[in-house]
Amino acid sequence: MDAPTLKRAASAVTMGLGGLLWLAAILFMAQTAQNSEQFSRLHPWILAINIAGLVVLVGLLATKLTQLIRDWRGHVIGSRLKARMVWIFGVLATLPILLVYFFAVQFLNKGIDSWFNVEIRRSLDDALVLSRSALEVRMREHLADSELIAEEMGVAGASMPGLLETMRRQVGAIELTVATQSGRVIAVSKGLSSEVVPENVPDEVLLQLRQGQPFVSLEPQQEGGYLIRTAVPIGGEPMQGGERLLLQSMYPVAERLGALADTVQAAYKQFGEKDYLRRPLKASFILTLTVVLLLSLLAAWYGAIFTAQRLVQPIQDLVQGTRAVAQGDLDTKLPLTSHDEMGFLVHSFNDMTKRLRRAREDQRSAQLAVETERAKLAVILARLSTGVISLEPDWRVRTANRAAAMILGEDIESRVGAPFGAAGAEPENLARQFAEACQQRFEGGAVEWREQFSFQTGAGRRILMCACTPLPLEGDAPGGYVLVFDDITVMLQAQREAAWGEVARRLAHEIKNPLTPIRLSAERLRHKLLPGMTDPRDAQMLERATETIVQQVEAMKEMVNAFSEYARAPRLEMATVDLNKMVTEVSDLYRAQGAIRGVRLKVDLDQGIDTVVADPGRLRQLLNNLLTNAVEALEGQADGSIAVSTQRVVRGESDVARVTVEDNGPGFQRELLGQVFDPYVTTKTKGTGLGLAIVRKIVEEHGGHIEADNRAGGGAQIRIDLPLREAAADTALRRGRLESRRERA
Amino acid sequence: MSYRASSVRHKLPFFARCSAYLVLCLIATAVPVAHAEDESKLKIREVQAALDEGVYELDVKTDLTLPDAARQAVESGLTLRLTYEITVDRVRRYMPDAGIAALEQRYEVSYHALSQRYLVKNLNTGEQQDFGTLQAALDRVCDLRGLPVIDKALVADGRVYEGRIRAVLGMNTAPDVFGWLLFWTDDWSTESNWKTWTLRP
Repeated sequence: MDAPTLKRAASAVTMGLGGLLWLAAILFMAQTAQNSEQFSRLHPWILAINIAGLVVLVGLLATKLTQLIRDWRGHVIGSRLKARMVWIFGVLATLPILLVYFFAVQFLNKGIDSWFNVEIRRSLDDALVLSRSALEVRMREHLADSELIAEEMGVAGASMPGLLETMRRQVGAIELTVATQSGRVIAVSKGLSSEVVPENVPDEVLLQLRQGQPFVSLEPQQEGGYLIRTAVPIGGEPMQGGERLLLQSMYPVAERLGALADTVQAAYKQFGEKDYLRRPLKASFILTLTVVLLLSLLAAWYGAIFTAQRLVQPIQDLVQGTRAVAQGDLDTKLPLTSHDEMGFLVHSFNDMTKRLRRAREDQRSAQLAVETERAKLAVILARLSTGVISLEPDWRVRTANRAAAMILGEDIESRVGAPFGAAGAEPENLARQFAEACQQRFEGGAVEWREQFSFQTGAGRRILMCACTPLPLEGDAPGGYVLVFDDITVMLQAQREAAWGEVARRLAHEIKNPLTPIRLSAERLRHKLLPGMTDPRDAQMLERATETIVQQVEAMKEMVNAFSEYARAPRLEMATVDLNKMVTEVSDLYRAQGAIRGVRLKVDLDQGIDTVVADPGRLRQLLNNLLTNAVEALEGQADGSIAVSTQRVVRGESDVARVTVEDNGPGFQRELLGQVFDPYVTTKTKGTGLGLAIVRKIVEEHGGHIEADNRAGGGAQIRIDLPLREAAADTALRRGRLESRRERA
Repeated sequence: MSYRASSVRHKLPFFARCSAYLVLCLIATAVPVAHAEDESKLKIREVQAALDEGVYELDVKTDLTLPDAARQAVESGLTLRLTYEITVDRVRRYMPDAGIAALEQRYEVSYHALSQRYLVKNLNTGEQQDFGTLQAALDRVCDLRGLPVIDKALVADGRVYEGRIRAVLGMNTAPDVFGWLLFWTDDWSTESNWKTWTLRP
């Protein structure tokens, strides 16, 4: 059994015992009011128990009422309903109790008063007067007898003892006493039935006689019956010492008369006693009634509060439970205290919260599944190399993956909720151009499209392949759009490179083979024909023609070799290379050549650069091509200068070695800036147009990065980033990726 | 005369009466209850012990003032009861005093309407006397002479004994079944101070 159950059981037992005690006390009190001598002794204690019960009940009721009023003022749920029920129950119980009390008090007052009505009182008074009159007759007669004896004794004088006995017998007295006025007995005459010791003369007798009045009184006896005492002065001469004598006589009252007088006396005494106690009796009865009334009233009000509380409690629980559910607490479970309609309501509420709890758990599970799927999708999108941007219908960014930010060169992920497009950015900003291009498509009315965009940016031309698809409707609202795009610049470049490589390979194969027979044929013609020519002019013409053929064949052979070199799949022999040392060596070779042409070569090396892993021959070719390209660009310029520098910089997540070659020549044409590394893209009149293409090829073979730009003060600038030795592994990985992309192309 | 181990009193508890009056005031019933304005005054004024024929006897003088309400109650038929409670202890220096004797001397005073006399009854001996006035009857019970207390054989020479006496006044009904009703009116019930005397045999 749990603690609350024990507490309830103990309370019920205590209240039951208290109730039984009060009930017993009330019953005892009623018994005491019915003249029970045994209970009358317990009356004060019973009354005290009842009053203690009253006090306890008043205390309990006051506590309950105070709590009720506090709840009312505090707007506690259910307090007003409880107060209304308490008021109704209390009034319904109070009215009949008060009515019964009022009539009971009236009945008691009138009933008790009727016991002591005037007729009974008067009859008893009359009986007493009548009895007293009858006895007074005797008393007067005996007083007369006494006075007669005293007169005769005053005359007789010395013969007093004999006279006393004679007179006593004559008047029927039981005792005659002669005494002085101070009470000293002189002579006594007693009958045989009286006591041996003579009666003293009481002080009041002496006092009255001294005042000259005879004394007579009726004296009730201890064993019942009456005696009549008379005292009269004795006439004649005073005794020696001047004291006068007196005669005290005791006369019996007839037994029958005494019995009747006793009956009257007892009835009168009993009636007087009860009459005197009439008011306390009524007060006691009314007090009993009042205590019962108060107990009943207080018990009724307490019961009203208790009942109201029992009735309202489930409603309070329901309201509190409803509030808790409204605040999201679906674990609320109400106690089922009964099996009536209220119990059914509580059961329904618990069932409802149980269903709601299950529904919420299902919803949470579904939401969790959706979140999981969304997280998976986010991971997939993050790992995609394709940019994905979802847009709201009003062109605000909803989501964007990392690839989108990398392709557009702008942190779009952090701009969720902001309008799509780099407002305020430079016109060459890729993100701004991309957003404007897409917006133009939308303004044109297309919602699902696929298109290739070409943008001119500061870093060159960028080609994006973009597809747009509308998202499903969200209810009645449009769902927005999703843009999927990819940077295909490199892929197209690779395609072009592959095409050029194939052209070069075929050119080398198809052209190089006939060049040797052509040259041999031209030399044979000169060798066979020249000696036989007599005309010097013809000989000179043959000499020039064959020479021209040979020279052009050689030129074509060089061109074909260059193509072959560009198309040749390299076999790199990687080794640790001191980049600064190699730059110094190549620069020294060109410094003399540049001095001849009036070009200054300046070298600035960063000693913090570590070694790089590269093919030394290819790397030397790369530097040669760059310097050759710079020297050729400065041809005809008086103050030409070339600056070669190395620098350790951070690119992405790793350090790289940057080689920068700058000149102060005319620089690259703006429109060709994105194609300077393509084969046969050149502004020079001489050369194969493959120099920078081969440079980029070598850079990509080493996993590096190359950029071409114009300097702010004029001239061209080419930056090459090569991975340092610690990034060699990563370099190989990138090279493999590039090879595979090139093969796909 | 009767000897008892301890005094016996039938005194209604004070708190019960106070509580009852409080309840009566609260309910404000229309039934008036008789209240005695004056209370009885009872005091042992003088006590003297003397040895008479081998028995120590007491002469006691008591002052008793009875209010009018009590006098009316007596005339209405109620019985006045006056009880003298007497104890004799042997005085001990380092221990509580030892009880030697304890006795009660009880008197009843009532009114006999037929003879218009006041009766004084010694409940210990059954002896009855009648008086023409209530005051004479009260004087009788308030002036005790030669009341035997303890036999000389029960006290040891050289010892010190201390006697105590007090009077208790109450009211009875003839049959005692209505005695509890006096709960509401019995304001003249009282008790006197303890009066002591020393006995040196």
